[in-house]
Amino acid sequence: MALAIRRSTSEVFGAAKWFIRRDCRALSTLPEKAVEVPVEKKRDRPVVSRIRANARNPNLALRHVYPEFLPDPNPKWRNSLREKLERTDMLNRRKQIDIPEFYVGSILAVTVADPHAQGKTNRFVGICIERKGAGLRAEFTLRNVVDHQGVEVRYDLYDPTVHSIQVLRLEKRLDDKLLYLRDALPEYSTFPFDMDPEILPDGTPVPVNPVQVKLKPRPWLERWERQELQGVSNIEEHLKEKDRVRRELRKEPWEKYDLMKQYRKTIPIEDQNDIWAEVNHQLKQLQLTRKKVSRKRTFGVPKTQLG
Amino acid sequence: MVTGSLNLLRNSFNKLRIDHIFSRSFQTPRYRPPYWYEPKERVPSEEFITQENKQFIEEVMQDKLQQQASLHSPLVNIDSSKAAEWNPQTRRVGLIARKIGNYPLWTKDGKKVLTTLLQVVDNHVIRYIPPEEFSPMVTKKYVWKEKNKLGCLLVGSETIDPSTVTKEYCGLFNNAGMLPKRHLFRFMVSPESYIPPGTPLQATHFRVGDYIDVRAKTMDRGFQGVIKRWGFKGMPASHGVTKTHRRPGNIGSGGEKARVWPGTKMPGHMGNRWRILRGVKILRINTKHNVIWTLGVAIPGETGAMCYLFDTILPLKKHTTSPAFPTQPFVEDLPLEYYDESVQPFEEQSITFEEN
Repeated sequence: MALAIRRSTSEVFGAAKWFIRRDCRALSTLPEKAVEVPVEKKRDRPVVSRIRANARNPNLALRHVYPEFLPDPNPKWRNSLREKLERTDMLNRRKQIDIPEFYVGSILAVTVADPHAQGKTNRFVGICIERKGAGLRAEFTLRNVVDHQGVEVRYDLYDPTVHSIQVLRLEKRLDDKLLYLRDALPEYSTFPFDMDPEILPDGTPVPVNPVQVKLKPRPWLERWERQELQGVSNIEEHLKEKDRVRRELRKEPWEKYDLMKQYRKTIPIEDQNDIWAEVNHQLKQLQLTRKKVSRKRTFGVPKTQLG
Repeated sequence: MVTGSLNLLRNSFNKLRIDHIFSRSFQTPRYRPPYWYEPKERVPSEEFITQENKQFIEEVMQDKLQQQASLHSPLVNIDSSKAAEWNPQTRRVGLIARKIGNYPLWTKDGKKVLTTLLQVVDNHVIRYIPPEEFSPMVTKKYVWKEKNKLGCLLVGSETIDPSTVTKEYCGLFNNAGMLPKRHLFRFMVSPESYIPPGTPLQATHFRVGDYIDVRAKTMDRGFQGVIKRWGFKGMPASHGVTKTHRRPGNIGSGGEKARVWPGTKMPGHMGNRWRILRGVKILRINTKHNVIWTLGVAIPGETGAMCYLFDTILPLKKHTTSPAFPTQPFVEDLPLEYYDESVQPFEEQSITFEEN
C-alpha cells in the first residue's frame, strides 16, 4: 500500500513537472522547437487545465507570427500607454507595406530606398539568421555570401525606407538563432539573388528544415560547443579534451526548472490576451487584403524579367 | 562703603533675567518648503470609519470628480483682445509630464532617431501669486533679480483621493475648485502670462518643432565608485597590478598643495539629483493622449518618473514667433497628431529618393 502511494505521488509530481514545462513553452515567444518531447500517454484521467485552454486559444498562436507585438518583459520599461501608441504606429506602417510572416531560417528579399544606390533602391537576398526587438525596434538580420564574401545586413522591420519584404522560402531551422552560419562553410549561406519565390499551399504548417551545417575549423567567433546547437553536425571534430571538460563545467542543467526566470522572460497570458484582442482584428483585415492582392497577382499576366 | 555699593549692585542685578541668547555665526539657510506649500503626507487611521462612512466618502469623491469634469476652462471667458501680446522676454507657464518610454521614429531622409515619450497627465493651474506677494526663501547662493518681476503659477498634476492626504494640502486646491493633485510645481511666469486657476493645460501648449528645457531627477545609482561616477579609466587587470583595478589612484600633489583640493572627484552618491536638459526638440504631439515625443534619450529619470517642461532659455533655440499664449485653450476638433516637418509619419507611404 505504502509503495503504491509513493508510486502514485511520484507520478503526480512527474505530471505536474511536465505541465509546468508545457506551460512555460506555451508562453515563450521563441519559435517552437522541431524536436517534441515524447508525450506520456499513460494518464489516469483527463486533466482539464489552464494549459489546455491556452492551447485552444487562437490568439496565442499569433505570438510566433507577430512576435514584435509583445512588449519587452522588463518591468522597468513597461508602460501601457506607450505600448498602445507603439502598436498603433506598427499597424499604420503595416497598412502601407506588406510585412509577411517569416521565421529565423526563412529566405527573404528586401528592397530598400538607398540614396547612394543606382536607381535609388537596393535589393538584398539572404537567410534570416536573427530576429529580435519588440515594438518599433523590431529588427532582423539577413546573411548571404556575395563574391566569396559573407555579407550581413540588419534591417528594421518598421523602417519607412523599406519598400518590400518578400519571403522567397518560408521555413524554420532547428535553432532560434543561426549566428553559427558565420563560422560554417560558405555554401550553407549562399543564395542566388534571382531566386524564385516558393509558394506553399494555403493551410500547410511552416516546414522545418532539418539541415545540419558543417563548421569550418577553429578559430570561431563564439564558443558554439557550449550553446547546445541542433543544427551543427561536426562540432565534436574540432573540440579538444579541454573544451569538452569546460563545456561540462559550464553546463547549467537546472536553468530549465527556473520558473521565475521563465516568467520574467515572458509576457503574462492575461496581458497577451489584451494585446491580441486589441490588434487581432486589424491584423486579420490586413491578411485578407494581402490574400486578395496575391490572388490577383497569380492570375495576372506574368512579366518578362530582363537580365 | 565698598560693601554698600556692592549690595546696591547685587540688588539691582537681582531682577536681571536671561531670556534670549543671540549669537552671530555663519549658517547657510536651512531648506524650508515654500510658504504656499502644506504638508501632504498623512498617517491613515482606519479605526473610526464604518462601512457607511467609507461609502459616503466614495460618493463625495465621485461627486467632486464629476464637478471637476464639468468645469469649463476659465480661459473661455477671457477676452482675447484684452490679453497681452507675447514678446521674446515673456515667460510662459510650463507643464508637468511623465516619462513613459522611448521608441524610434524615422526622419524624412530615412534616418532613424530615438525619441522619448512624455505624457502630460491631467495638468491644471491651481494658484497664481503675483510678483508683489511672491517672496521666495532667501538663499545665500545667488540673488536672482528677475525674481522680483516674475509671478508664480502653481500647477498640479494627477488627481488623487483626498482622504489619502492632509486636510491642509486639500485646502490648497479649494480656490480652484479642484480635488488634490499628486504633483504640485511652481513655474515662474511674467505677470502678463497669467492664467486663471482651474485652467487645464494640454500638450498643445507647446508646438511641434519647439525646443524645451526638461527638469527632472536623475536615476538613483546609490554609492558608486570613481569609474562609474566620473568615468575614470581604472588600472590594468594584469601586468603586476594588485588590488588597484577600480581605484582612483592619486588624489593630490605635495608641496604647498599637500592636501585634498576641494572638488576632487571621488567615490560617493550618484544620481537622484535635479538636472535640467536644455534645448530638446519636440518631434510629434498626440492631442488625444497628451503625449509629446522629444528627440533623444537623455531626459533624466527612469520610465514613469515625473519631469517639468519649460520653454527653452537657450538664445539660439528660443521661440521666434508667438507660441500659444498664455496657453492653448481646449478645442474639440484638433487633429489627432502633429508631426514636425522632419519626421516621417507612419501613415504615409514609404520613403523614396528622387534621382537628380
